[in-house]
Amino acid sequence: MLSSEQKQLLSDKLKTLLENSEEISAALVTTVDGHLCAMRQRENYPLDRLATMGSSLMSLGDTITAELRMGGCKNIISENENGIVTFMHINSSLVLVTVTLHKNALGMLLAHSRKAAEEMAKMLN
Amino acid sequence: MKEIKLVFTGSMGAGKTTAISALSEIPVINTDVNATDEVIARKATTTVALDYGEMTLPDGQKLRLYGTPGQERFAYMWKILMQGALGLIILVDNAGENPLGDLDLYLKHFREDIEKTTAVIGITRMDLANKPNLAAYNDFLRNKNLQLPVFSVDVRRKHNVVMMVQALVAMLEY
Repeated sequence: MLSSEQKQLLSDKLKTLLENSEEISAALVTTVDGHLCAMRQRENYPLDRLATMGSSLMSLGDTITAELRMGGCKNIISENENGIVTFMHINSSLVLVTVTLHKNALGMLLAHSRKAAEEMAKMLN
Repeated sequence: MKEIKLVFTGSMGAGKTTAISALSEIPVINTDVNATDEVIARKATTTVALDYGEMTLPDGQKLRLYGTPGQERFAYMWKILMQGALGLIILVDNAGENPLGDLDLYLKHFREDIEKTTAVIGITRMDLANKPNLAAYNDFLRNKNLQLPVFSVDVRRKHNVVMMVQALVAMLEY
C-alpha cells in the first residue's frame, strides 16, 4: 500500500511527464489490481475506469508472455484511429498508463513513459 | 462436435478460480495479481481479467470454462466474457457479509444473459455459514421471478463442480 507521500511523489512525476512531453494527454499510475494511485491529464478522461482496465490488460500481457516463455512483459500498446495508449510495469505492484492523441507519436510515448516508469521505480525503492 | 462456452462469475472469494482449476484438463490460464485493498484480509490475490480452462464431458462434448473477476469495478470484463457464452454459473460465498445481496448484484448485471441463455447458482462455504440456507435462496429467486437450480457446492471437490456443470449443460440441451 502506498503512503500519501508516495502518491504525491508519483503525481509530481506524472506532472513532469506531461510538462516535458506536450503530446502526452494523460498519464496515470494504477495498482496491479486496478486502484488509481495518481493521475494527470489535459483532457477529461474517465481515468478511474482506465486504471482498472489497465490492470486487466497488464495482467493479460504478463499471462501471455509467461505462456509463450518470452520473459517479462515490457509494455502493451493500443494503437487506435485517434491516438495511442501504452501500459507498462513500474514495478511488480504498479502500472503506468499513458495516452496520446497523436497517431504518429508511439516512439515518443514509449520513450518518455519508460523513462518515467524507471524513475518512479527508483523513487519508490 | 460443438463446443460450449460457460462462464463462472460471482462474489470475490466464492471460488471461481478454484472451481475452474478443479475441472480443467489443461493448465488453467489465470490473471491473478496481488491484492492491495480490503481483499487482502481474505486472500492474497485477486483475478483482474479472466480465468480459462477446458473440460470434456463423458459424451465428448468440449466445455470452454471462463471465470470473471469478482469485483464490480471489473464489470466491463463481465460483458466481454459473456459474449458467445451459452451458460452462466453464479457462485456465492455463503460466509460473506451479505450473500443474498451479492447474488442480487450478479442477477442484476447478468439478468439479460440469464434470460437469453441459462444459469445455475452455486452456494459455497456453507460449511462455515449455514444461513441463508438453500430454501432462502430459492425464495429469493422466486421473488425475482427466476427459477434457477441452486446447489450447495464445495468448489475444491471436482465431483461437486462437475455435478453443477452437468446440470447446466442438461438445461441447455432441453
